[in-house]
Amino acid sequence: MLTIKNLKASYNGLQILKDINLNLEKGQVLSIIGESGTGKTTLGRAVMGLLEGSCTGEILFKGKNLLTCPEEELRRIRGREIAMVFQNVEDGLHPLYSIIYQVMEAVLVHGLKDKKAAEERACEVLELVGLDNRRFLAYPHQLSGGEKQRALIALAVVNNPDILILDEPTASLDALTKAEIIAVLKRFTRETAFLVITHDISTAADLSTHMAVLYGGRIVEQGATGDVLAGPRHPYTRGLLRSYPNMSTTKDLQGIPGRMSHHVEGCPFHPRCTQRIQICAAEAPLPVVEGNRLIACHRGGIVPLLEVRCSKSFGPLKVLQDVECVLHEGETLALIGESGSGKTTLAKTIMGLLKADEEEIRLEGKKVTRRTIDFYQRVQMIFQNPGESISHRMNVLQAVKEPLDIHKTGNEEEKLERVRQVLNEVELPGDDDFLKKYPHHLSGGEAQRVAIARALVLNPKILIADESTSALDASVQAKILKLMMNLQEKRGLSILFITHDLALARKISDRLAVLLKGRIVEEGPTSEIIYHPLHPYTRALLDYAPLLEDRSVRPAGSRWARRACDNSLQAAPGLKRPPSATSKGCSYAHRCLAVKERCFEEKPELIACSPRKVACFYPQVD
Amino acid sequence: MVFTGYLNKIHIKSGYIMQECVQARHVPIRNKVFKKASVLNRASLLNYVVALLIILTMNFFIPRLMPGDPLQAIYGNEALLVMTPELQEELIHRFSLDRPLGEQYASYLLSLCRGDLGHSYYYNAPVLKVISGFLPWTLLLTGLALVISTLVGFLLGVESGSRRGRPLDQFLLGGIMLFSGFPDFFMGIMLLLFFGVFLSLAPLSGALTPYAGHSGLMLVVDLLHHLVLPLAALVLVRLTATYLLTRNTMITTLGEAFILTAKAKGCPERVIRYRHAGRNTLLPVVTAAGLQFAHLVTGTLFVEIVFSYPGLGSLLYKSLLTRDYPLMAGILLVLTVVVLTINLLLDIFYPKLDPRVAKCT
Repeated sequence: MLTIKNLKASYNGLQILKDINLNLEKGQVLSIIGESGTGKTTLGRAVMGLLEGSCTGEILFKGKNLLTCPEEELRRIRGREIAMVFQNVEDGLHPLYSIIYQVMEAVLVHGLKDKKAAEERACEVLELVGLDNRRFLAYPHQLSGGEKQRALIALAVVNNPDILILDEPTASLDALTKAEIIAVLKRFTRETAFLVITHDISTAADLSTHMAVLYGGRIVEQGATGDVLAGPRHPYTRGLLRSYPNMSTTKDLQGIPGRMSHHVEGCPFHPRCTQRIQICAAEAPLPVVEGNRLIACHRGGIVPLLEVRCSKSFGPLKVLQDVECVLHEGETLALIGESGSGKTTLAKTIMGLLKADEEEIRLEGKKVTRRTIDFYQRVQMIFQNPGESISHRMNVLQAVKEPLDIHKTGNEEEKLERVRQVLNEVELPGDDDFLKKYPHHLSGGEAQRVAIARALVLNPKILIADESTSALDASVQAKILKLMMNLQEKRGLSILFITHDLALARKISDRLAVLLKGRIVEEGPTSEIIYHPLHPYTRALLDYAPLLEDRSVRPAGSRWARRACDNSLQAAPGLKRPPSATSKGCSYAHRCLAVKERCFEEKPELIACSPRKVACFYPQVD
Repeated sequence: MVFTGYLNKIHIKSGYIMQECVQARHVPIRNKVFKKASVLNRASLLNYVVALLIILTMNFFIPRLMPGDPLQAIYGNEALLVMTPELQEELIHRFSLDRPLGEQYASYLLSLCRGDLGHSYYYNAPVLKVISGFLPWTLLLTGLALVISTLVGFLLGVESGSRRGRPLDQFLLGGIMLFSGFPDFFMGIMLLLFFGVFLSLAPLSGALTPYAGHSGLMLVVDLLHHLVLPLAALVLVRLTATYLLTRNTMITTLGEAFILTAKAKGCPERVIRYRHAGRNTLLPVVTAAGLQFAHLVTGTLFVEIVFSYPGLGSLLYKSLLTRDYPLMAGILLVLTVVVLTINLLLDIFYPKLDPRVAKCT
């Protein structure tokens, strides 16, 4: 119904919109999200023909190009066929006219002569948007913010427009009013196509069917709302979602480095992007369809930095059985599992410290056959025991500088400078006294930070942290993790975080992989797994994850405790359990409460169960 | 009322319970709004009464605080020279000058209540009667000047403000600023010289052609013929303030969010200009018109003198020349009352213009 082609808009020579292509069909709710200043409002106003700047391109509405339409024709379209609710709720209504009059006027200016009919229509719509009928005669100053927003919506929908543009429809409303307004808006989505402009992602998620992410006047990602939110593919979208406080995700808030500017050549996001390459600064990427998504990125979205598939056995004991995992740029993948599940083996195999029976490792898409010096420049590891992982014969300076010596980067002075810099980054003093200390002079936290500094000194892209904070007390651990999260935000560090602590993984990871007896049994977005675990093993891990209260007295309805005290999950009566895991069946079968006959006979495959994977015949659904 | 139709509809649609509910809730709210409005009027009325009393008191005390004999202040030295002791006795008695100040004040107020503003010795008639012969002309002139200057200033301001920076706006702004530089009597003199003396298009003085015996339409034409120049002088000078205020308010109002809403509704340009932006601009303009009225009255006094227009200005001038103190005091008092009344009327009218004022008392 509405097609926008190559739309460019500028004010005073500053180009705000650069080449926008959009399509809006009947029944669609398209949300445009992005930070403030990315051109969202400009886009809405351009469609309304109310932009003060100049526009080029085409805005086709029912076959007519609105940009070349004469003003009088535009006026007749405005409010009747395309309506808009503007951002400013407080001043959006004329202060001197009653609500009903203003809604009536919207009908009357489009040629209806009969005032009675207009009045009836206005009342009907005002009732539909849920405004109390005692308020119809009120003036705007007598209404609350929510009531004003309802009135503004009524005013826009009174003529049954084909397209309704909503500019921040829920900004500055409290959560309950917001929910009510969204419910009101949903009443109109069947008849009217919506263009929802918002920085409030939860509103967009609730209201829209499709989502377009606008940055620097270009659409960087577009797709069905659910897909985009579950798996953002553009680094900017991921940054937006990470910085948006909500009840669904569990990772700590992270921002997007840098600031937006409209004077950027090439990809508008490249100055803030952590995976930029040379071409990003040179030319703007064209939007390409990839899977269920339209994405404009030279790198095709967030790149998979490390792809691992390996098997390893120590004698007859299969420690890793065809483990497959992918670590994306700027992402934390937490590898969870009890001790003996093969976590450390996996880390060491990736690093090449253990020789795998069978392996296929790809670094940035390229197959790794030998661990060259370049590999270690990109991938670094922090070991489990910091006190032991630093040589006792080396002082801090030597320990941290050693990788630089091996990689022969710069002269002594530059190396010293770099060491001080990286020590500063991990919040350790860079003075000579400290540099001369030996590991046994350091506290546990300091030693760990020295180990991290050693890993970071080469500026790696990937950090494998193997239980690297489990030996530390919680406050030091918190500081170190914050440091790692900051590095991730600033330069897109990818972290493979190996831990047995689910509570910790929940706060720092984007994705979670649960390892059991050398197999991944469940893998997916952290929040999904935490809130809706499917595999009984994951559920068991969650049941015994740290809580700050007595498990037995947690009130009914609280998610984890209920399950912990729940005895309803009983194995089928008469089922014979073997005393330990057999090589034939599911490796959790002998401990599983939901076990059935089949579990002992076959091994479940890891199957996709969008947006995650699970290896279980009888996944538990709440 | 627009709303009644809707109430009926609810009646039919939702059955009697809903209807009763709506009516029962709705009616008291309307009464409440009405009550609030009348409370406001009573309060502001009180303000005006207090203001009037203060003015009356000042009017009473000022001649009595002047140095020398109040009688001397009233009649001047020459009159006192020829005054016989009997006459002086009688005058002192008449002004109650022989009694204590409090009693003098009381009798002053009482006589005002009776409509007695004193006796003009020059016209040898009661002051009120003299004034009532001149007042209508002044009211006609000021009233028309106020209405026309506000109206024209507003219209020009709206057109100019909505065309900011374009030729019409620049022309109007330049031209009107030029006129605003002149004082009104000077403008009067210029108009009189040009149209009256050089072009002989308008009469030089008076409000009607004396002894012409016009009646009906001819009377009106004659009246307007005399009125046009003094009115033009006043309007041209008074126009500026309204025009500038309207233009500036227009420019800021056009940037408001509700104008954008109106545009998005699909309102035609003219409707946006007047119904939306103009209506909002009217508020400060009306306030300013009320405030300006006092200035307008003083301006009128000068202009009347220039055109020998038989209004209070000319009368005041004459009473000054003849030192007819009771007349002077009477004129000032009447003008004060007129100004106060106009302001009171505006105050009563204003809530109808701005619903936001109605709610705060």
